[in-house]
Order: sequence, then C-alpha cells, then structure tokens
Amino acid sequence: MDFYYLKQKRILLVDDKQELLDMVVSILNEDGFQNIKTAKTVSEALTVSETYQPEFAILDVMLPDGNGFDLMERLKKSADYPILFLTARGEDDDKFRGFGLGADDYMVKPFLPKELLFRVNAILRRSYKAENPLVKLHDSEIDFERAEIIKNGEHISLTAKEHDILAALYRNAGRIVTIDALCEAAWGDNPFGYENSLMAHIRRIREKIEANPSQPVSLITMKGLGYKLVVEGK
Amino acid sequence: MKSIPKLIRRFVGIMLLSSMLLIILNFALLCIYTLNQAPNSSPWITAQEVADDLSKNENEYVLSEDTALELQNENVWAIFIDNRTMEVVWQTDHLPETVPMSYTVSDIASLTRGYIDGYPTFTGEAENGLVVLGYPKDSFWKHMWPSWDYNSIVNLPKTVLSVLAINLALIFIIYVIANSKLLKSVKPIVGGIQALSTDEEIHIREKGLLSELAVNINKTSDILQAQSRQLRKRETARTNWIAGVSHDIRTPLSMVMGYAGQLENDMQLSEDNRQKATVIVRQSKRMQNLINDLNLASKLEYNMQPLSPERQNLIAVIRQVVVDFINMNIDEKYTIEWQTDEALTSCTVNVDKDLMKRAVSNLIQNSINHNEQGCHIFVRVKAENNVCIVVVSDDGVGATDEQIEKLNNTPHYMVCDEKTTEQRHGLGLLIVKQIIFAHSGKMLIKHSEYGGFEVDLSLPMTM
Repeated sequence: MDFYYLKQKRILLVDDKQELLDMVVSILNEDGFQNIKTAKTVSEALTVSETYQPEFAILDVMLPDGNGFDLMERLKKSADYPILFLTARGEDDDKFRGFGLGADDYMVKPFLPKELLFRVNAILRRSYKAENPLVKLHDSEIDFERAEIIKNGEHISLTAKEHDILAALYRNAGRIVTIDALCEAAWGDNPFGYENSLMAHIRRIREKIEANPSQPVSLITMKGLGYKLVVEGK
Repeated sequence: MKSIPKLIRRFVGIMLLSSMLLIILNFALLCIYTLNQAPNSSPWITAQEVADDLSKNENEYVLSEDTALELQNENVWAIFIDNRTMEVVWQTDHLPETVPMSYTVSDIASLTRGYIDGYPTFTGEAENGLVVLGYPKDSFWKHMWPSWDYNSIVNLPKTVLSVLAINLALIFIIYVIANSKLLKSVKPIVGGIQALSTDEEIHIREKGLLSELAVNINKTSDILQAQSRQLRKRETARTNWIAGVSHDIRTPLSMVMGYAGQLENDMQLSEDNRQKATVIVRQSKRMQNLINDLNLASKLEYNMQPLSPERQNLIAVIRQVVVDFINMNIDEKYTIEWQTDEALTSCTVNVDKDLMKRAVSNLIQNSINHNEQGCHIFVRVKAENNVCIVVVSDDGVGATDEQIEKLNNTPHYMVCDEKTTEQRHGLGLLIVKQIIFAHSGKMLIKHSEYGGFEVDLSLPMTM
C-alpha cells in the first residue's frame, strides 16, 4: 500500500523543549515525512501556522505561554486539521477521554518511535483519503468509497454492516481487532450478544474477499480474541 | 440513636425489678416476724389452757403445779369468776390489790376486750365460770374495737393490689420526671459521640447537666478535624510530589527511548550495537512502567484516583488487554493464550474500565518481567456463583511457597508503616491489589497449574 501522499503533509510540531523537537523531527524524517515546522511557544505556533498552513499538528500540553488545549482551539479556528497531543502527565487521561475537545489522539511521554509513527500514520490515513482509495488484499481489492469488492475483475457490493466491519479492520490493518470492537463498529454502543451475527458477517465477507473462504489469508481469525485484516504491501 | 430507648428500657426494668424485690422481701420479713411471735405465746391460748387445767377439788379450785409455775415465771396473775355469783372464787398468789373481786356483766365485756386497771387481760372458758389472766402492764396492746366492715374484708385482695399498683405508678412517674432531664442532656452527647466515629464535624450545645462532657466532645471533634485536615494535606503533598517527579522524568526519558528506539532499527549500526540499543529501550520501558505505576499507586493509596465504575462486559475488557499485548508485538519469547470458554460471551461487572485494564496489563507485564528466558502466558475469564474471575497464569519460573505467602499476606513497602529493609519488589502487583480492592474484589496469588505464577482476580458480578 502506497502512503506516499501522506508523507507530503505539512506537519506542525509544538513543544517547549528543543531536544524533544529535534528527536521527533528525526523520527518523522526517518519515516519519510518531509515537511515539518516546529515552534516552542503558543505565539510562535500561531505565527508559523499563518504562513505555513499545516495539515497536521503535534502539540505538547504544557507550553510556556499557555496550554495545548487553548492553542488547539485557536489553530482550528483558521483551518480544521487533525491534532495529536503529546503529554507528560498521565492524569490528563480524563481530559482526553472521548476526545471531546476535538483532539484526534494523544500520547503520554515517554513513547517509542514506532508507537508515535503508528499513531501519526493512522490519524493521517483516517483524515486524508488517498486519491486511489483501493485497498489491496491478497485475492481482491476493497473500494471503500463505493462499498464494493473487486475480485477477478468482478465487482461485488458490500452491505452496510460488512462495510463497517471491514473499515474497522482496515483502520487497524495488520493488528488484531477484538470481537467487541467489531461489534461496536457495526452495531453501536451497546454491542452485547452480537457475537454470532458477527461470525455470520465475517463468513460472508470472506466469501467476497477470499479466493478460498474456508482457508482465509486476508481476514484471519484469532481464536476467541478477534480478527485481523492482512493488507498487501503493509 | 438506638441507645437512648435502650437506656430507658434498661432503667425502667431495673426500677420495676427492685420495687418487686422490695415488696417480696418486706412481705417475707413480716411473715417470719409474726410466725416467730405466734406459737404458744398467744395469751388467749394460755388462758384457755389454764381454764382447762383448773380443777375442782372438793370445794377448792386447784391449778396444777406446772401451769402455776409457768404463770408465775411470766409474772401473770389469774382469777376464776364463778358463773352464778359473779365473784372471784379462785385466784393466784400475788394478785394485785387493785383487781376487783366481783364483776358485773359489763365488767366482763370490758375486760374481755381490754384491761383491768391497765393489766391486759385474756379469758378462758371453764365449766362453771371464766378464767381471767392478767399480764403485766405494757406487755400487750389490745385492740378495743376489733370490727371491720364486711365489704372491706371481702375486697381486701383487690384493695391491696390497687394500692400496690398506685405505688408502682407513683414510683415510675417520679423516676421518669427525675430521669427525663438527665436523658435530655445525655441525648446530644450520645449523638455527638456517634458522629465522632463517622468523622463528622460536630458542635453540640455546651449546656445542661453534662455540659462538661459536651465541651470535651466538641474539643475532640475539633482535634480530629484538624488532624484529618493535616493528614489530607500531607497525603496531597505526597501525591503531588510523586506526580511532579514522574512528570519531570517523562520528557528526558522520552529522549532516551526515542533515540534508542531509532538506533535499535538503524541498519547502519552493527548487530552488536543495535542489541545495546535494544537493552536501552527495554530498560527505559521498565522505567516508564515504574513511573506510571508509582503515580497510580500513590493516588490509589490515598484515594485520589477518581473511580468511574460502569457496567462492563469483563470478557470484552480483558480481551482488549490481551489483544493490545499481542498487537504490541512483544518479544517472540512470550506468547499469550486466550483460554476463556467460548460459550461464555458475557460477564457483567461494575468496574472502571481503564483501571481494570491496567490491573490485567500489570499481571501480564509481571509474567514478562519475571521470565527473561520467555514463557507462555494464559489468560482466562470464568464465572462462578455470581463472581467473575480473571485468571492470569504462566509456565515460567514461578515463586516459592514462602514468596507467595508473603505476596498474599504482607503489605507492600510503599504502604507498610514500619521501616523495612526487605528486598523491594515492583509496584505492579500492589496496583493490581489496590485496584481490585477499590472494586470490592479479591486477589489471590498461587502456583499455576502450568508450573509458574498465577494470579486470580475475583469481582462481584452485576445483574
């Protein structure tokens, strides 16, 4: 899967510590991100964003002349783009819960480079759809826009539930998604007792995406836990 | 406030019991006293005996020696009045001179009821006359008009009972009046003492019989309040201190972890150097866990971690933890096996989801930390008798009986109030214990059936 277009996104990075800025920049650079600007204060961040027009921002919560939450509100006034918070305080959990403030995700320091990159890429993928939205699987392709599967040149349409389940799996491609999270994605907030329905839907999805549904290679069962979508080139 | 009525009941009981006992005792004493008086000493009986004993010998009346001696000993005189002549026909020696020698019918009636010249007299009927015994003056008191209204005798039991009842009622009323005042002043004091134990701030009126006690209770409350404020302040300071330290460590540790993480994957470095970076990453990860644990443990210990329990399917919560671990791609040396029975799809409990996840993560992390050589980790949720049990076990090195006993029963150094020099162990298990206790659950550490370590967490199920 080619995420090249995502690596071109303009990123604004705000933290009051130069060493941390340097490090995050180096982590992002290594992963292929090219356009990164940094700022150390709220006022600097506002100035930079005026001319730079970022498409994604990583903000520290505690800044010398204000806090990241206020900065986010002011940044979002001019343009709406995804924001990831970096915080050194575990107890900020409550503030982030549900992301009522409009943050897309948050991370508590310290963090490993791969954790940061996973979240940055996930947010960008969610926020900026590729020009070519086809997701390549081993035996087929998913077109989420049109809610269909393309297998051997044949177009098979997905039901709404199948689409929701596949979308949830794709957002976490390569990772296990629990039965409960999938039920929630398909049936909403109180997803008790849908396990059997989920199994039925998974079976139908497999019939659509797999060459041999009884021996799946793209949609893998993790017994008792959940399912994993294996995307080609990832 | 159950104690006041109880107090009243107790007092009334004691009072009634003591009055009853008094009455019974008095009655018994009276009986004993009269019984001691009565036998043979009744002068009426003696008079009758004398009358029977008196015999006519030719023209002389004679009394037997014994009876005569008995009368003499008691200093009693006797006369015999003939029925026909109404004159004294026989007399004992030493008859006082003032005793008349002839009697009229009214004299007889008078002496029967009362006295002859101040001597209490008693009569006994003989064949031809009347024997009169005269006892020394002031030896008996005679009731001169011994007659009662017939009805009053018939009603006597009733009268006695009602008098008794009136007495009791009177005593009761006196008691209630006397004690209500005391109870009135006891009531706020009892209330105050009860409030003290609930750590409420109290102020009772310092007036009345027990005002001194009230003053002391108020003072005690003030001291307790001041102490708990002080304690709270200190606990807050300690929690803030730990939070501050852990905050300040996070940013530098980010740098260590970040760069080490980059070096770990830097293909330009030699295998040897990348291995070193891996060690740095692993160790900083441990420091990260420690900081998180320290912060949470101190907050849980001082009740500063807000708990937001909600109805949760415990199986879903634990499943997410296990999946997170697998997704995190922990070392291949460690595998996690989900063993929950597939038939069991839901186990509803009222828990704070994040804390619960933290507890189980800690248990899995614990197995990883203590088994450097690698191990299989088994996670299972089961339901038994309205209790949800999460079992986390491994086939690693495990622990000795002694260690398990210690982990189950001795307080962690962080919450131990004595100085301790023992080998310190991590905070992971302490946090699990704190979290489970905060949810009214139980934690049990034991040997795993797979040969390693096992921890069972039991939580009450919600219907």
